[in-house]
Amino acid sequence: MGHGDKGRPNKKHKSSAKEDHRSIVEDEDAYYGEEIEDDNRDGEKKRDFTKLELKPDHVNRPLWACADGRIFLETFSPLYKQAYDFLIAIAEPVCRPESMHEYNLTPHSLYAAVSVGLETETIIAVLNKLSKTKLPKEMIDFIHASTANYGKVKLVLKKNRYFVESPFPEVLKKLLKDEAISKARINAEVSNGSDGFTISKAKGEIGTGHEDLLSGAEVAAAAEEKETHAFEVDPAQVENVKQRCLPNALNYPMLEEYDFRNDTVNPDLDMELKPHAQPRPYQEKSLSKMFGNGRARSGIIVLPCGAGKSLVGVSAACRIKKSCLCLATNAVSVDQWAFQFRLWSTIREDQICRFTSDSKERFRGNAGVVVTTYNMVAFGGKRSEESEKIIEEIRNREWGLLLMDEVHVVPAHMFRKVISITKSHCKLGLTATLVREDERITDLNFLIGPKLYEANWLDLVKGGFIANVQCAEVWCPMTKEFFAEYLKKENSKKKQALYVMNPNKFRACEFLIRFHEQQRGDKIIVFADNLFALTEYAMKLRKPMIYGATSHVERTKILEAFKTSKEVNTVFLSKVGDNSIDIPEANVIIQISSHAGSRRQEAQRLGRILRAKGKLQDRMAGGKEEYNAFFYSLVSTDTQEMYYSTKRQQFLIDQGYSFKVITSLPPPDTGADLSYHSLQDQLALLSKVLSAGDDAVGLEQLEEDADDIALHKARRFMGSMSAMSGANGMVYMEYSTGRKMQGQLKGKPKDPAKRHHLFKRRFT
Amino acid sequence: MVNATKGLFISCDIPMAQFIINYNASLPASQKFIIQVLDSTHLFVQPHVAEMIRSAIAEFRDQNSYEKPN
Repeated sequence: MGHGDKGRPNKKHKSSAKEDHRSIVEDEDAYYGEEIEDDNRDGEKKRDFTKLELKPDHVNRPLWACADGRIFLETFSPLYKQAYDFLIAIAEPVCRPESMHEYNLTPHSLYAAVSVGLETETIIAVLNKLSKTKLPKEMIDFIHASTANYGKVKLVLKKNRYFVESPFPEVLKKLLKDEAISKARINAEVSNGSDGFTISKAKGEIGTGHEDLLSGAEVAAAAEEKETHAFEVDPAQVENVKQRCLPNALNYPMLEEYDFRNDTVNPDLDMELKPHAQPRPYQEKSLSKMFGNGRARSGIIVLPCGAGKSLVGVSAACRIKKSCLCLATNAVSVDQWAFQFRLWSTIREDQICRFTSDSKERFRGNAGVVVTTYNMVAFGGKRSEESEKIIEEIRNREWGLLLMDEVHVVPAHMFRKVISITKSHCKLGLTATLVREDERITDLNFLIGPKLYEANWLDLVKGGFIANVQCAEVWCPMTKEFFAEYLKKENSKKKQALYVMNPNKFRACEFLIRFHEQQRGDKIIVFADNLFALTEYAMKLRKPMIYGATSHVERTKILEAFKTSKEVNTVFLSKVGDNSIDIPEANVIIQISSHAGSRRQEAQRLGRILRAKGKLQDRMAGGKEEYNAFFYSLVSTDTQEMYYSTKRQQFLIDQGYSFKVITSLPPPDTGADLSYHSLQDQLALLSKVLSAGDDAVGLEQLEEDADDIALHKARRFMGSMSAMSGANGMVYMEYSTGRKMQGQLKGKPKDPAKRHHLFKRRFT
Repeated sequence: MVNATKGLFISCDIPMAQFIINYNASLPASQKFIIQVLDSTHLFVQPHVAEMIRSAIAEFRDQNSYEKPN
């Protein structure tokens, strides 16, 4: 087993860490020696930054800005907080470890910056102020080029009329030269002599929060009231107009804003935040980005799981005070959202309703909150009469806010559908992990809006807002017999089952469960994607488990027991537990198998235990407990799992987490205490794995699992009661058989040559 | 009568021994190189195969390690 080299903090050195525990022949140093070099930085080493000019007072400034758009931020600088807020608004975070952050300026991130009200000159001025070096010319040019057209045009919904608004009349004229747009224009007063734009005064930006970095004069300029010019467009043509303005056409991407205070057409919904709902600083900040100028902007807010996304959502709804459609991924989280709305806001019971396949509620009155799932809205097939009515209502209503939970899970086509079905003034997407392996994230920029805010995980940990997690990767060597089978070609389909069922891994898992249950009294979730492994582990250890086929009732029962009972401290979950099953009690995760190299799954799973527990002062930096949550990933060494595991961790590493590698679990002295100690037991397990069918040992297949919105148990049909009882079927059967017979005999006589030879004689 | 064979003594961990055995088994009979499997961590092989085994293992390990794309 492992030769006890504990605590290698950095995974990048994996090849060198492996050294002491792989030994082949003698002189291995010559063999692995050159790999110790930090592999990643090679490319950058060659870059020459000697030309950058240091400012004399560079010590006081926190940034390094490089010509290629990269920005490095020193987190120990006194200006860190302000600089961070600014950078997160204009650049994409690449990697945020403890003392140095890396950011990247991209067209998308600048688009987002412009949309929250930052102007080109402000961006450059502040950046220059913060940078240790003179801003490279390339970077300034890049910012100019990327922001030249962004944010110049706004699409505003006022009193249910769509206006295209801009402070620059010449831009509007340019837009109107386009045929599609000029057609869509509604001319209120045609022959007015002038260009016919409505001119109004708009409030300048408030609360962008970068004033302290600018001199007084600059702020004054920004806050000054501005004239805006606008023309109205036909609501039916809005989609076309938006399309024409995208970068691939006229390149004036529109910002969407909703002037909800002046919206008198849609009825107000009487809801306020309850006094006990105290948004935390970062929640406030994210909301201030959304409501920067008194109007509501569409966009995405990224907060780690457990940091209180729902409060942000509910606050946004309370701010807008219009009907709100809230979309979640599955029935369980629908319940949770409904609960959150009641918990944080003063909304009346009859104003909130859930719309899922199990509960179809309808709200009375003219405004309210509807919580439903993406699937329910986007579902294309036939619905029951009742849900057809509700969906019709959803379709016809004008929503003040479309609140979308876990936006990263929804594939683009589904979004398009949802967005086309529902008419909403403002869209807010919430997510923890804006990464997808299939890179379909960029679509969200145009479907919903730019990223408005992204929190820094480590800062939240330091503030005690989310749990401080110890991440560990436990290396479990394969046993001789399992590895021999793993290597055989004929077992290629069972590879996963073999490395998941590795007895050493099982023992490590059992050891960890025991340790945390008995020594610390923790609540543990064990994740396994592989159904075969899930059942084997759960049965052997006699723990409850939840997977796709577990009914809603049973799930609730198990989760309830897990929350309240002292007896049930461990629960086994398949990947149905990845997203949005809220289990705030758990603080230990043991992951025994996973969905290949999905970074998002890793982060989402970690999110299950991020909700902070215990007293605040214990959690703060320097508090009693250094770590209050534990995330173990069990990996069989020398298998594909090593590859996947490293890949999966990238996202968390980029957020500043480090993984500790543990190689000696369980400790050698725990002999027969744990299962599968004897060779006999191990061999019995092996033959069980090998004799299981290929389909049984594979991954759990959930419905619609493209990049899983998942979480569906069985195929769901909408049907009527009579169909269930069989009455419908009878009628249908009679009809169809008659028709079919006729059809077959008369309509389509079969070519006798094609008939099966057994039947040929009958007909001839 | 005592027979002496010149060879290479390999000492490694359990999975790697299995890997070498499996690699040996995948070769045609004429190229098999293991003279004797001594126990689960020690092998006695033909003297000339050290490089071959090394490169096979290196390849196997490369498949199982992930490098962050730049």
